[in-house]
Amino acid sequence: MSEPAPSTPAGAELVSDRSQSPMWIFVLTLTLLYLGAVYFDRHSGWFDKDVYSPYANAAMLESYQPKSGAAMAAAQGRRVYEQVCGLCHGADGLGKPGQAPALAGSEWVIAAGHNRLAHIPLLGINGQISVAGKGWNLGMAAMGASLSDSDLAAVLTYIRTSWGNQAGEVTADDIKNIRAGLGGHLQPMSSDQLLAMPE
Amino acid sequence: MLLVSWSAFVLAPQLQLGGAKQVPVLNSTEVYPHTRPGEANQGLQVYRANGCAACHTEQVQQDGVACDVVLASAGKNPDAVSNLLATLTLRGLSQEAAQAVSDKITAAGGKVETHIVAVGPDIARGWGLRHSVAEDFLYDNLVQFGSLRIGPDLAGVGSRLPDANWQLLHLYAPQSVVKGSLMPPFRYLFTTRKIGAAPSPDALNLPKEFAPADGYEVVPKPEAKELVAYLLNLHADVPLYDAPFTPVVVAKP
Repeated sequence: MSEPAPSTPAGAELVSDRSQSPMWIFVLTLTLLYLGAVYFDRHSGWFDKDVYSPYANAAMLESYQPKSGAAMAAAQGRRVYEQVCGLCHGADGLGKPGQAPALAGSEWVIAAGHNRLAHIPLLGINGQISVAGKGWNLGMAAMGASLSDSDLAAVLTYIRTSWGNQAGEVTADDIKNIRAGLGGHLQPMSSDQLLAMPE
Repeated sequence: MLLVSWSAFVLAPQLQLGGAKQVPVLNSTEVYPHTRPGEANQGLQVYRANGCAACHTEQVQQDGVACDVVLASAGKNPDAVSNLLATLTLRGLSQEAAQAVSDKITAAGGKVETHIVAVGPDIARGWGLRHSVAEDFLYDNLVQFGSLRIGPDLAGVGSRLPDANWQLLHLYAPQSVVKGSLMPPFRYLFTTRKIGAAPSPDALNLPKEFAPADGYEVVPKPEAKELVAYLLNLHADVPLYDAPFTPVVVAKP
């Protein structure tokens, strides 16, 4: 190792000169800070607890919320069906002897209109009723009265489109109108009363 | 310095997730998650005590999100729609592409829906339908994330393998149900005992090479039942706001 030649005379005090830090250090630091900020903005979701990768931000997450359609309604309908209806009518819609008639292929379920069908869960039934050529004489409580319009509509759509049934869908607005049309009627329906109303 | 790290690693997460609570399931009146039933909660401690998290994770990763365009009804002109469908890509689209495809089919008279699907290797393996979120672990103490995947991810095992008997057989003799499984048998969670007056209803129905000697039966100890209750309670696959996807339901035939 060779000692650098002293630039000051021996014995003189060392003095710091006024040379500046190189400019490129500032440029590099600022560039890195800028890139870091851009990366943070794109990928952090701004610490929103709902935003996970691959969603970049709350707006993107919002745009990917599934719109309700037949698939969502079927999922909702099946959940409600299995919680409320399936205990008696069976998860397979085939009913249970002595408990409840089948919904698969029942003319009440697959009728062109859903007006009569909707009245059954809203008010319950009482007395003799014929389902697919078989006589039943069991009561059904108003199982659907406490369900929300959208839950009841989803479950009616579900039974009208499952197990080989191919009838039209029921919307929450339909249920809302039917519910409003009930007036003060709270008694369970009889088969004759149901048949007297429009399909 | 301590204050900075405390703020970053304790205070910030507390502010972010400390108030986490049950959230609604998408398009439903249900909430998620529910507390685990007592037996499953005990099972979490068995899971922990046996070090299951050393080889199994409980966190599904998601790389991306895609749109699938699904035909809801062909409308009045089914031939034109089916000819059009043959020329289009309907799966794994971006939002804009899905919108363009939907517009084309709608113009031809069909009716379509756009499904949101999660994408990624974990999803492709069938380990889940979406990425794991904080709510999945809301009632777990301690949380069993795991970090090494010698075995498969278990975040949705309760939905994937819902058979309690299968789970018990798998714990007693993994190779009796999964050929070539690397999992060690957990035989100490079971008792092999002489059959009494009648075989126990809990006795495992083992294949011949794993079965005990004649006159003996293998019954699970309470720990094994608790562990299975916990495994069957793991189903982190409901659609949530922070992990959206379109559930596809096939009505039971």
